[in-house]
Amino acid sequence: MPQPGDSLGSTMVLGPDKKLGFLRDTSVQPFAPKEENIEIDLPAGVRDAVVKVALSYQPRPGDVYPIDEQTFPVHMDKFP
Amino acid sequence: MKKILPVLLGVALWVTLALAQSTTNGKAREITSLKGLIARYNSESCKECHEEIYGQWEKSHHARPLMGMSDQIFLTRYLKEGPLAIKKGEKATRENLICVKCHLPQMLEPDVSDAVFEELAQAVQKGDKTTLRQLNIGCLMCHGDKAMVHGKAERGVIYGSKDIPEHEGNPVKKSALLKNPLICGQCHGLGPVLEFKNPEQCATLYGSYLHGYIPSGGSKSCQDCHMKSGNHYMPPNFNNRAETSALYKAALPMDVEVMGYTFQPKENEMYPRIVVKTKITNKAGHRIPDG
Repeated sequence: MPQPGDSLGSTMVLGPDKKLGFLRDTSVQPFAPKEENIEIDLPAGVRDAVVKVALSYQPRPGDVYPIDEQTFPVHMDKFP
Repeated sequence: MKKILPVLLGVALWVTLALAQSTTNGKAREITSLKGLIARYNSESCKECHEEIYGQWEKSHHARPLMGMSDQIFLTRYLKEGPLAIKKGEKATRENLICVKCHLPQMLEPDVSDAVFEELAQAVQKGDKTTLRQLNIGCLMCHGDKAMVHGKAERGVIYGSKDIPEHEGNPVKKSALLKNPLICGQCHGLGPVLEFKNPEQCATLYGSYLHGYIPSGGSKSCQDCHMKSGNHYMPPNFNNRAETSALYKAALPMDVEVMGYTFQPKENEMYPRIVVKTKITNKAGHRIPDG
């Protein structure tokens, strides 16, 4: 998401009455897919797991709009 | 000289009369109360013939621009604390209410008096939702003042996608702007609004459209996606949570690949590892999130 400052320093601010410029912008840009690789190490011996990937939007802290949720059963011994 | 003098007097008298007329008209048009502002920009007369469009607009955020998500008066906090707060013992001015530039653009018309700003601030402070719900971005904003950027909108003219001189009430004149992204960009903006004493930055969406979407080869207009078939509902409607979630899902398709394997970092060490690869594509004409 666009992370605004007040153009007086490098501290992020919340609220349109204080925003004046961006410090950082991690939003999803048109024609620029955002890719991430997440590696999850598990304790030795675990052979099966369930991975749930959820995408949501929070316009305000705690105010969540769910967008997508996908669940995947994972087996470490797919190729025995 | 004898002949010139009466002519000069005549010209002087005409100029004086014209100025007096203009002042009288100016006074007559001046809006001194919220009631007057609501009456001037009332969309009810449009509803009589354009009921379906009115019904669509009525459910949109344009019909309640002073009410934030979940029917909250978003200005309350800003008038209480922060750079836009009203100072103790002082009356609210235009500088406290710069949000109206987009949330209630009719307030910045030159014939709206300072008293209206004070009254609006009082309505916000009192939590007067009945009054605030009547203040909106109605038909006469986009089909009036905002429909012209090359010169001023004509008084008594409604702007549309084609000329309809016989239109009941007021003639309709064609404005190419109504189908152009710029009509939306006037409010869904470029970034900082630096023309105020306490500048702020609210909407940046049109900036993203101009500098992110178009240079990447985008060809759609705001209207193509947010006003399909001329629908004036103009989503997203953040008060309809399920609908907004579905809209985001369509705009931000997410692909996920998941794999599990046994990782061996050292000769005598092994443990299971899961790799999750996500790819989110933005199919909108602007960054997400934005506004």
